[in-house]
Amino acid sequence: MKDIREDIAWAKINQDVLKSLENPRKLFWIILFVAIAMVGVAVGCEIYQYQVGLGVGNFDNPHMWGLYIATFIFWIGMSHSGTLLSAILHLMHADWRKPIYRFAEAMTTFSLMTAGLFVAVHLGRVWQIYYALPYPNGRQVWPNFQSPLLWDAMAIFTYLSSSILFLYVGMIPDLAICRDNMRDCWRKKFYTVLSLGWEGTDRQWRNFRVTYLTIACFLIPLAVSVHSIVASDFAMSQQPGWHITSFPPYFVAGALYSGCAAIITLFIILRYVFKFEEYMTLPILKKTVRLTFAIAMVWTYLNFIEYASVWYGHNQVAKDLLIQKATGPYAPFWWAMNFLGSVVPFIMFFKRFQTNIPVLMVVSLLLNLGMWLERWMIVAPTFSHGYYPWTWDHSQWPSFVQWGIVFGSFGWFTMLFMVFCKVFPSVSMYEVKEMVYHRSRETKKLGAVEGAH
Amino acid sequence: MSVSTLLENWSDYRHLHPVDDVPHNPYKWAMSIDLDACSGCNACSVACYAENNLPVVGREKFAHGQAMHWMRIERYWDEDISAPGGRDFPDQGAQFLPMMCQQCEAAPCETVCPVGATNHTPDGINSQIYNRCIGSRYCSANCPYKVRYFNWYDYPTTDNVWPAEMNQQLNPDVTVRGKGVMEKCTFCIQRVTVAKNNAKTQGRLVRDGDVQTACQQACPTSAISFGNLVDPESKVYKQWKAQHVELDKEAQTKDKEEGGSDLRGYRILEELRPYPSVMYLERVRETAI
Amino acid sequence: MMNSGFDRRDFLKVLGWGGATVALSGCGNGSVEDGKETVVSYVEAKDYVIPSISVYFNSTCAQCDAGCSITGRIREGRVLKLEGNPDSAINRGKTCGLGQAGVQHHYNPDRVREPLLRTGDKGEAISWDKAYALIAEKLNGVQGEEIAFLSGGVSGHLKVLLGNYLESLGSRNHYVYEAIAPAVLRAANQKSYGAEMPRFSINKAKVVLSFGADFLGSWISPVHFSQQYAQFRKGVDGQRGVLVQVESKMTLTGANADRWLPVRPGTEGILALGIINALGTASGDIAAAVKDYDKQRVSKDTGVSAEQIDKIAALLKARTPSLVLVGGAAEGYAHGSQNAAAINLLNHVLGNVGKTIGVPVSVPFPQMSPATGNTAALQALNNSLAAGKYKVLFSYAANPVFTAPTVMKFKDNLAKVGFKVVFAHYLDETALQADLVLPLDSALEDWGTQVPEYLAEGAQINIQQPLMEKLHENTRGMGDILLALVKQRRADAYKDFDDYYAYLRNALLQNKDALGGSGVDDDYFWNDTLSKGIVKLAGATGNLSGTASAVGLTLPPPAAADTQYPLQLIPSINASLRDGRHTNQPWLQESPDPLTTIVWDSWVEIHPKKAAELGIVEGDIVEVTGKNGSIKVQAYLFPGIHPDAISIPLGRGHEAMGRYAKGYGVNPFQILDAVFDKETGELAMHETRVKVSTTGQRVIVIKDEGPVGGKQMGRKIAVRVPSNKIDLSKEI
Repeated sequence: MKDIREDIAWAKINQDVLKSLENPRKLFWIILFVAIAMVGVAVGCEIYQYQVGLGVGNFDNPHMWGLYIATFIFWIGMSHSGTLLSAILHLMHADWRKPIYRFAEAMTTFSLMTAGLFVAVHLGRVWQIYYALPYPNGRQVWPNFQSPLLWDAMAIFTYLSSSILFLYVGMIPDLAICRDNMRDCWRKKFYTVLSLGWEGTDRQWRNFRVTYLTIACFLIPLAVSVHSIVASDFAMSQQPGWHITSFPPYFVAGALYSGCAAIITLFIILRYVFKFEEYMTLPILKKTVRLTFAIAMVWTYLNFIEYASVWYGHNQVAKDLLIQKATGPYAPFWWAMNFLGSVVPFIMFFKRFQTNIPVLMVVSLLLNLGMWLERWMIVAPTFSHGYYPWTWDHSQWPSFVQWGIVFGSFGWFTMLFMVFCKVFPSVSMYEVKEMVYHRSRETKKLGAVEGAH
Repeated sequence: MSVSTLLENWSDYRHLHPVDDVPHNPYKWAMSIDLDACSGCNACSVACYAENNLPVVGREKFAHGQAMHWMRIERYWDEDISAPGGRDFPDQGAQFLPMMCQQCEAAPCETVCPVGATNHTPDGINSQIYNRCIGSRYCSANCPYKVRYFNWYDYPTTDNVWPAEMNQQLNPDVTVRGKGVMEKCTFCIQRVTVAKNNAKTQGRLVRDGDVQTACQQACPTSAISFGNLVDPESKVYKQWKAQHVELDKEAQTKDKEEGGSDLRGYRILEELRPYPSVMYLERVRETAI
Repeated sequence: MMNSGFDRRDFLKVLGWGGATVALSGCGNGSVEDGKETVVSYVEAKDYVIPSISVYFNSTCAQCDAGCSITGRIREGRVLKLEGNPDSAINRGKTCGLGQAGVQHHYNPDRVREPLLRTGDKGEAISWDKAYALIAEKLNGVQGEEIAFLSGGVSGHLKVLLGNYLESLGSRNHYVYEAIAPAVLRAANQKSYGAEMPRFSINKAKVVLSFGADFLGSWISPVHFSQQYAQFRKGVDGQRGVLVQVESKMTLTGANADRWLPVRPGTEGILALGIINALGTASGDIAAAVKDYDKQRVSKDTGVSAEQIDKIAALLKARTPSLVLVGGAAEGYAHGSQNAAAINLLNHVLGNVGKTIGVPVSVPFPQMSPATGNTAALQALNNSLAAGKYKVLFSYAANPVFTAPTVMKFKDNLAKVGFKVVFAHYLDETALQADLVLPLDSALEDWGTQVPEYLAEGAQINIQQPLMEKLHENTRGMGDILLALVKQRRADAYKDFDDYYAYLRNALLQNKDALGGSGVDDDYFWNDTLSKGIVKLAGATGNLSGTASAVGLTLPPPAAADTQYPLQLIPSINASLRDGRHTNQPWLQESPDPLTTIVWDSWVEIHPKKAAELGIVEGDIVEVTGKNGSIKVQAYLFPGIHPDAISIPLGRGHEAMGRYAKGYGVNPFQILDAVFDKETGELAMHETRVKVSTTGQRVIVIKDEGPVGGKQMGRKIAVRVPSNKIDLSKEI
């Protein structure tokens, strides 16, 4: 099945995508308002927590970390989608990524921004978060380079800035299209500035390709390292349930997994809302779904390895913890996570579901729920059931403050994404044109209309 | 802010597990606690509250597990008590264990603080620098003993923690912590500092007995010994030596002997290699009755 | 760092009641309270107040009556922390948690600050002059026999002055009441040893057999005995001392025992006789008395196996000297005196008298020796109140409205008194019933002398001096108040004394020679005494003269099961909270109970087997009902208790006394049955029978231990080594 029709006129591509930038309908505003309200909930909770102290989140000794770290990892994980689709598949010449990588990259950027907020919210003294930066200070104190949390800070900053750069650079030709097709208004001025005078000359295209490829090559190891570093927060500790060498690849696999699942969700939504059926075609959806399934199996394997290595290992404490996860107070969540993460993806194995939009929508959301639970199940049980039985605590759960901020983060992400979709083209017009061109070359039909890009 | 400062100070404040005979010089503060003498009375714990400005968190917060006792007394029953097939009554008593920061030489908490708020002092104490702490709580996440306590609320401004007149009891030698910082036992570093200053004024080193931690001073059975592990005259040195417990081992030589050792000294969770500075003397199970 | 070079006379005089409290400041700051926001409290401080330098003063801890000596650390005019005074033979530089909390007694925000004239629920602050005038007015025309004075145990010069005041009133009605007192033991000791409180030498014993004596926790002089215990464990010639504890509910001492034996409540005396029988060394009337107490019978009666009885007997024979102690557990029955007598017999049979039970020392000033409290006094007072005998009642250091069992109707009887004056630190339950509440200086602000009931190595008089200027302008020391009151009646006799300080100084100086001050001048002696905090004396020693006789010893058989009230209620004594006078000290509320680790609340300990029978799990709110009332309290499954008994700690359940005490927990004093020891008339605290029923409510118990409640789950955390594997003499 072909990923895209070969006879779409280039002007039509422009037209269809630019249509998504029109003034939004009422439903958009309603949903945006809801998203902002969710953010409001989170802000309220954070103000309360900021003023009174982290105790309102129902943290304690030993539950030192809770939903903030779990959700932080979740959002970092979500951010791997863009890198995967943009960079990795670009290097693999998988053309089917072309219509969908733009919004995936946007998802990456906004996920990272959301994750960054959680770092702040999680700290006891947020107002001194800058201590973690190597800024010149009178006491000549450097941050602690041995600490995985500091590596996190650096890695995430680098990743965020690189992702923004990658997103932006990749958008330049599209921004030029927008500039050329807009009437005089704030948008035209906006795109004029952002497109940096792109004319589409041969020289510019050559430079562009090299730049894009370079950033892609840079970004891939960065993505792997970022989530490996986040995994090191846990793997470098000797706490039971954390001290597992397979954590870095496990986390990266989980990240790709949740990223892909999120792509499916957003794919379905954008396809419907902006009527991108021609571009976000069912064959592409199918490929995405199969990719997700493959990653799900990789994740399942690594997850299983984690249990197996604990099981045949010599650390009785880690074994006790594993049994506790399966039978203790976290058991419902742990079993749900395993079910959602390993069993539910099998729906995607069957051809008849691989393009079934309603089923995929539900499945993709369930997969992400499973991945969120996975992060929580990594963080919380170790705290509640560690090395020292006297300090075990099986009865404290996160309070409404923690849930409120987690809830609000989804609103924040949604808000950013919605604004993005209305300001920037969420399908990469020039890449789609390339795709159509290649298809037409393959089928030897000359359906593509030459001329103005 | 120079790289050379960073490199120079690196080995000073980042102390890996001790490899020399003498881990620190001239002071390495250590403790030994005799569990056979400890009666579980909690005097040490209350003395610590008094000395170190520990907040009383009250009933609600204690219920949520947010207590602040730097020194906690744990009470253990024998494993078979009330278990199926086991004894109905604890007819050999209970066991009490005072647990506080073990001031590990290779502390798991020190490496993971993102801002370097917890380090090792030259005299062997795990330091906690309140004004540097941003409250990431990674140190506590990494602590196997879970002896680090976080200020979940702003206790100085919380009602009924230090109401009028009670705030006059606060020890001015010890910081009163606000919200968002981690704290833990410091081996009464404020007392150690005073002792060192006094000794310096007199042109000598701190002698055994010059400084007592609050817990040691209160303990009615004198179960706690505190002193300088590298001073051959100190009680702590003699005790560690008599018990054949060495600071820089993850498994003591004596434990590898056939049939186990006939000495009482041991360290808790030693196999995780934090190299704790607190040695415990096993409680004796009387065979005469 | 001790600063002894400066002139302390001025300082101390200034700190006295008559002193100008304003003198310590220059302009602006009237008291420490005013200056508290500034680093240095006083604008013009005295020259010994050097910022950042600590000053240390000795005094006496008043948190319990053991009379440990304390050294207070003072900085910038504020007492910060209390340590033990190394010079005292009683505590040798150590303190218990209760002692540490003395600063919270002093700085407590809920202290009474003004004399209060109370009508109903309201209190109106009045001046001291008015208060004294009111007292004079109310005493006018009242006969001596219509006036009563209720106090806790008193000693030293306060006791003298109190006696003088009562004498000036023509009243002989001094009731000395302590809710928790070893009064049965005193009487039994007097009979057995010829002394109410002989000297116990735990450190000289090779075996200690304790029948419920919680000497590490709350029995008589716990800090002192703890030190002896430490030596006991190290042992004489490397042989570690063995502790055997027999009781129905595990105390702190029981938790440290090498062998803890749960015994059927009330049968401690039977067990003692059984052990004498098993020893086989008794003769004469003792042998005759124990003839019927063979192992089988004793085992059946007490629940302690015959094998254990043999083991104990063998141990006691093999290792001498030993020491047998009697605690509240044995005392708390209607036959408590008999229990105590039987247990004391063991010491005679084992030959411990003269070895580990020694001659007590006493202070050669009998008028200063402690008037010890007991609960028979409460009963006597209650009867008199019920009969409407008294028109005026004074109360000091007692809280009977809290500690009296409801069945005695003490509160109602108290209301019959026309005029009630309570000298109080806090508005506790009894103070709330008063007509006039007079606020006291805290123990850290006051002057005094104290003689403890139990003297350790030698005789000593403990000195109490203020550790700082007083916090609240309008509190007064009890001595000063008594002096003012006695001056109302005997102005001439006391006209030389401006204040209690002057009175004390004069009293001590008059006996300077006997107090070891011969040959030095008055000022030097006084300063030196205050500086040391203790006056050590060659005390008068007596002889142990009691008889080792079993004549008249009759122990009742174990109580028959009561189907309506099947369980025995044992109110337990926590070392920190005791009878509830310290419950408003937050460190003590937050300090976990050593055995259950529960904080800020009461609980009922039930043996897990019994709980399973009754369908109770941890956290269930159960109703404990006796003949005289019921209370609802959370259940805690505790293996260290006899299945036929349950235990609720004393000390909580306050309805007043400040923010840290009010509303926390329940008060088991309330539901105690009015059963008294037959010989001494003491309230038999363990004779209350109850039933337990669930209410359907459940809470999460607030405790420090985790969800596995004291198991180590296979991790090597708290380790025990068998005694035959180690050699203690190798150690330091």
